[in-house]
Amino acid sequence: MPKVFNWQLNREMDYPYEGARAQRQFGAVFDINKCIACQTCTIGCKNAWTSGRGQEYMWYNNVESKPYGFYPLGWDVKLLEALGPQSWQGNTYAGKTIFEAAPAGSVALGFLPEDEDWAHPNLGEDEIAGKFEVGERIMIPHMAWVFYLQRICNHCSYPACLASCPRKAIYKRPEDGIVLVDQSRCRGYRECMKNCPYKKVLYNAVTRVAEKCIACYPLIEQGRQTYCILTCIGRIRMAGWIHPPDKVEPDSPVDFLVHVRKVALPLYPQFGLEPNVYYIPPLHVPVSFTRQMFGPGVDNAIAAYRKAADDPELLGALLLMGATDRWIARFKVRNGQAIGYDEKGAEIVRVPLKEPVYIRPDWDPARQVFRHNIT
Amino acid sequence: MNKQWTLLLLLFCLTAVALASQGVVLAQAQPALTSVYRAGPLPLTEPLAPLWQEIRGISVPLTPQAGVLPALLQGSVPAVTVKSVNDGQWIAFHLTWDDATQDVSATKPDSFRDAAAIQLPVSEVLPSICMGAAGQLVNLWHWKADWQRDVDEGFRDVVDAYPNFWADFYPFVAGKPPYRMPADFQSPEARAYSVGWAAGNPLSNPTKVSPVEDLNALGFGTATSQEGQDILGRGVWNQGKWTVVFARPLVNGDAQDAQISPNKSTSLAFAVWNGSNREVGARKQVSTWTTLRVEAPRGGGAPGAGPAGAPPAASQPGGLESAYVVVAILLAVVLTALLTLFVARGWRSS
Repeated sequence: MPKVFNWQLNREMDYPYEGARAQRQFGAVFDINKCIACQTCTIGCKNAWTSGRGQEYMWYNNVESKPYGFYPLGWDVKLLEALGPQSWQGNTYAGKTIFEAAPAGSVALGFLPEDEDWAHPNLGEDEIAGKFEVGERIMIPHMAWVFYLQRICNHCSYPACLASCPRKAIYKRPEDGIVLVDQSRCRGYRECMKNCPYKKVLYNAVTRVAEKCIACYPLIEQGRQTYCILTCIGRIRMAGWIHPPDKVEPDSPVDFLVHVRKVALPLYPQFGLEPNVYYIPPLHVPVSFTRQMFGPGVDNAIAAYRKAADDPELLGALLLMGATDRWIARFKVRNGQAIGYDEKGAEIVRVPLKEPVYIRPDWDPARQVFRHNIT
Repeated sequence: MNKQWTLLLLLFCLTAVALASQGVVLAQAQPALTSVYRAGPLPLTEPLAPLWQEIRGISVPLTPQAGVLPALLQGSVPAVTVKSVNDGQWIAFHLTWDDATQDVSATKPDSFRDAAAIQLPVSEVLPSICMGAAGQLVNLWHWKADWQRDVDEGFRDVVDAYPNFWADFYPFVAGKPPYRMPADFQSPEARAYSVGWAAGNPLSNPTKVSPVEDLNALGFGTATSQEGQDILGRGVWNQGKWTVVFARPLVNGDAQDAQISPNKSTSLAFAVWNGSNREVGARKQVSTWTTLRVEAPRGGGAPGAGPAGAPPAASQPGGLESAYVVVAILLAVVLTALLTLFVARGWRSS
């Protein structure tokens, strides 16, 4: 099996195909700390892409509560258990990836969820990991906690769905690294569903073939952000180009958050797919949990995020999240403002690092009324 | 003396065993399949027609596909019984195999269909058994149990798979809830939301005519549905057994299809999938190439006009070759016995 370099594992690993990176790679940063699980992204995505017959239980985007929420049921814990110990030596992964742990007859270690597992997409919502005793005060990290995990396809650099398809009906677009299922060639074998560790290839009950998140490529082709990002009322998301560490563009906001400040981390990097959605880990959750989920970078990410108020560049990149419907290719922080530019260098958005405060007198003489909201 | 006799007896036994085992191997080597000539019209889509009782079949061993990933580690169907008839114009194949579970749905994310396929060479050179190879085109006839149910009972919709199903709205839908596919989703706008169907994927087409798909391949992973779909077929599951017929004109002039001629033997191969064993795609059991001989009409009669109910005497392809094997073994045993006696006598005289 060919060897490819997975920078998230800081080592080479087995992959069924030779490593060939896309010319540009779709990436996204999701700030878990800001999400309230309103599911507006979920509905925005569903209205756009999965409102057809047979797609009723297909959610390209879902937001699940951790630790007890799953869509499909147990998607991550089942695989974590099957994969065995996943130890890191520093920043280097010392365990096995799902490709290296492939059982006989299969391309990767995986499992096919059962029908019922897809039927409860918001199971475990808001269920916390433990309980508070009477009189306890909530500390950071919380003693009993819950957080929301926003999930779309990771458009991985080394997709297991693509590697598993015996028909090569799944492909990765060279122009943006988006992973797609060819709807005319898929024959519904579901090898991709079995081996995608994130379970983000879904089965259409009516067309009897697999479908998946398309990263809203028709929007990206027009320089716009995806629907789940456009609809996010908490402004927790931002898409942009992500590069491998040796080709980092520090003024790309996604590269900056992932590679320069290292506040955003991949989801379950140990599976070995080099996923390209990066999460800012929740501050209130014990790192013993988040390290397993986001790898050994969690402590650094939390430390950097806590200092954001004193780090204008980081603050600027974070404030650009959800600030525009356009695709931010580059950004700068100047004179207390974060400025986003498109591919051609034209300014598309400008956000103050500190929101200006206007204080008005409580009495409005023109309307002869007292103002209730005076800020 | 005793020792010598023992030695000779041993030699005799060894020889006999060796020959017998070779005989077994010969007997196991794939017997040819003869497509028996019968005057038409043939029961092309009737797997349980009485005609099939009169035709002798051959048992074709199947092995789990393990040449490429993903592989089938544990097979569930060890053999398929195959029969064939032709009337000089049409040829029909009749496949029977044991399958305790009737898997006729591929609607749920974890349900897989039962299926069977026949592979025929299109290229002059016998293609690789592995679904052909570059420059070695094969023609695949693929029967699917869920397609069979769609054809027999109408498209299996989500409302059929999930009894309490309800949805009150779909974009551009016609009719009223709970709606029916495809009747209420005919407009191009509504169809666009069934992407596989809109993209022309035959798997996604809810308006199926035949349960058999006509495909070509140039190697594993390349199976592609043809423009011209011209295979008839029908499958029936009864008491732990699938019985499926496939039928097509012997010659149809389609360059993508195998053309079958009474004057020329060809080859064919078989594959079977058991859905409840999660057999799908490359996870299947397959045969090796089997020789196909197509009987021509008797007495130079016009094709399709031969005498009805011709005796099945000549339709024993497997039996003939087995007889040869038995005769060969008997001859070998007799020869060995003679040789043994001769050697023993020689030893005694010395």
